[in-house]
Amino acid sequence: MYGGDEVSAIVIDLGSHTCKAGYAGEDAPKAVFPSELSTVGTFGYAYVFINVKRCSGKQFDRNGAAGALNFRLFTIPSLHATKTSEVKFTEVVLTKVSLWLFFAVAAHEGKEDQIELMLVKVVGSIDQMEPDDPDNSDKNSASIPDSKSVVRPFDADSKSVVRPFDAEKSKGKRKLYVGSQALGYRRDHMEVLSPIKDGVVVDWEIVENIWDHALRDCLLIDPKEHPMLLAEPSSNSQQQREKTAELMFEKYKVPALFLAKNAVLTSFASGRATSLVVDSGGGSTTIAPVHDGYVLQKAVQSSPIGGEFLSDCLMKSLESKGLTIKPRYSFKRKEIRPGEFQTVDLDFPNTTESYRLYSQRVIAGDIKECVCRAPDTPYDGVNPMNTYSSCILSFAESSYSNIPMTPYELPDGQTIEIGADRFKIPDVLFNPSLVQTIPGMESFAETAALVRGLPQMVIESINKCDVDIRRELFSSILLSGGTASMQQLKERLEKDLLEESPQAARVKVLASGNATERRFSVWIGGSILASLGSFQQMWFSKSEYEEHGASYIQRKCP
Amino acid sequence: MANAASGMAVDDECKLKFSELKTKRNYRYIIFKIEAQKVVVEKVGSPEESYEDFSAALPADECRYSVFDFDFTTEENCQKSKIFFIAWSPETARVRMKMVYASSKDRFKRELDGIQVELQATDPSEMSFDIIKSRAL
Repeated sequence: MYGGDEVSAIVIDLGSHTCKAGYAGEDAPKAVFPSELSTVGTFGYAYVFINVKRCSGKQFDRNGAAGALNFRLFTIPSLHATKTSEVKFTEVVLTKVSLWLFFAVAAHEGKEDQIELMLVKVVGSIDQMEPDDPDNSDKNSASIPDSKSVVRPFDADSKSVVRPFDAEKSKGKRKLYVGSQALGYRRDHMEVLSPIKDGVVVDWEIVENIWDHALRDCLLIDPKEHPMLLAEPSSNSQQQREKTAELMFEKYKVPALFLAKNAVLTSFASGRATSLVVDSGGGSTTIAPVHDGYVLQKAVQSSPIGGEFLSDCLMKSLESKGLTIKPRYSFKRKEIRPGEFQTVDLDFPNTTESYRLYSQRVIAGDIKECVCRAPDTPYDGVNPMNTYSSCILSFAESSYSNIPMTPYELPDGQTIEIGADRFKIPDVLFNPSLVQTIPGMESFAETAALVRGLPQMVIESINKCDVDIRRELFSSILLSGGTASMQQLKERLEKDLLEESPQAARVKVLASGNATERRFSVWIGGSILASLGSFQQMWFSKSEYEEHGASYIQRKCP
Repeated sequence: MANAASGMAVDDECKLKFSELKTKRNYRYIIFKIEAQKVVVEKVGSPEESYEDFSAALPADECRYSVFDFDFTTEENCQKSKIFFIAWSPETARVRMKMVYASSKDRFKRELDGIQVELQATDPSEMSFDIIKSRAL
């Protein structure tokens, strides 16, 4: 079967921090957005009220009847208290703004003036809605920032008792926002959730939403028409893989599927069938030996210290010095005179903790990328192997006191000076017990005690492999993932490994000089593989799925 | 089959030439390349050629597979030879090419029965004569 040139395959690499999606054969992913999404929980739905008198049934016309809708958005937490007697589902397609609104219409019985209540699940963003009726434009625009959690009174003529859905029904319909834009918009009671914990998918509903967003909103394709190559973590379990296959074939009805291991793709993309892949991503760092295209599962090592952990450390460390990062939503900044800005703080008491943390992490992540670099040496004379000694605390600050400060301008215009943290934070990768010296990160101290530094993990992983291939693994250690872009990380890792590896070993740490290739190595590997003419016979096809079932994935994509 | 293998086919000529190198010893080396979804023989070297001739025959910025028949004398003064398989994948090659060669290697190597030492090289230092010698012993 040779069809690679006609229909390009889609390649998705869902990482713990970012999701990369795009067309096979291209050099870089088309869509890169956070793997996290936000949800407005069991209460705090946006309700649309329709004044039936004014729109008189027209709103259920499937073709662009949105113009006739005279609605406002409300956020009424208390609605869940009452029960629904009758729920009718109607689907209205707003072709004009290409939004899908799923309306659940609860008609209120026994009252003369009928008010229809609608629960809206917005996929995408409601912000783009165009008000057609100039009369309503102010209402519509007022309704857009549903952050204004004001419960407005109804029109005087409709004394209404609104009947909402019972909690269970609405729970299954939690409203999810995906994509950097949607996440960048603050909403009341909006929680930020991640589908992945420790490299494993824990919430499939979120994963589905992310795939939906990638395929339908970003790439604008119909998954029925494109073979799908998914990158998976090396430690993916059988059940996870079968579940993935099932979802892809049953829900998305893809014509063909392939699951490729992250580490193998990275290794191949660098031209090696045998290598030790050190993948330091957002949520975790995984070390996986690959031999002739097989991941040696027993030797895979992983730690929760990834880019996000470092961002958290940086944030806490700055906080302990009295520098708080203000999330972008919490202030307004405008130019009062050319070159002169005024910052006004805004207060949103209904913002969730997780959203605040998410917004702060975005900024902390940027600071980290701008100023941090891996130090050439660990703290003075402290052997990274026995860092658990108490002396570390006293050494911690003194060893970096002579580092020049680097300025960084926060979004609110405040300029902060970052000194020792520039080097100390990346050093956590090599020496996790440093976490103890960062105020506010004590809760991780226990975890940190169990986590080993990067060089120790590398050596441990190699030592678990067969003696015959150790030499080769030492000489082809590949750095990949977002955190691998950290300056001097490669040099430092190589230096530490040289000190700790056996004499005969020839240590060589490799990382692509190209930042895009380093960050997207997994995706790029998948993109090339899926576009190879010869690969077209390797897909797990829909007909094979129908004949053998989901478990056949283990045979097709070992 | 390895995960994410490319499914590349292997030309019969490759196996033929390899078994001639192995049994008749009428080649010093064979260089293979991937062309039109297939691994084919690009070049063969006569038994008189040296290791330098072989490494010079590998292109500086393209990937290749190669087989080299290495003659050496052990410390006990015993004449021996070993067949090396070298996957040449220079850093400067295009990512696409590296991916194609790396993902087809496992399958191709299985076709060649009788390889004794395997090397992967991304720059000439990784396949220097010293390394060949140390791996042979």
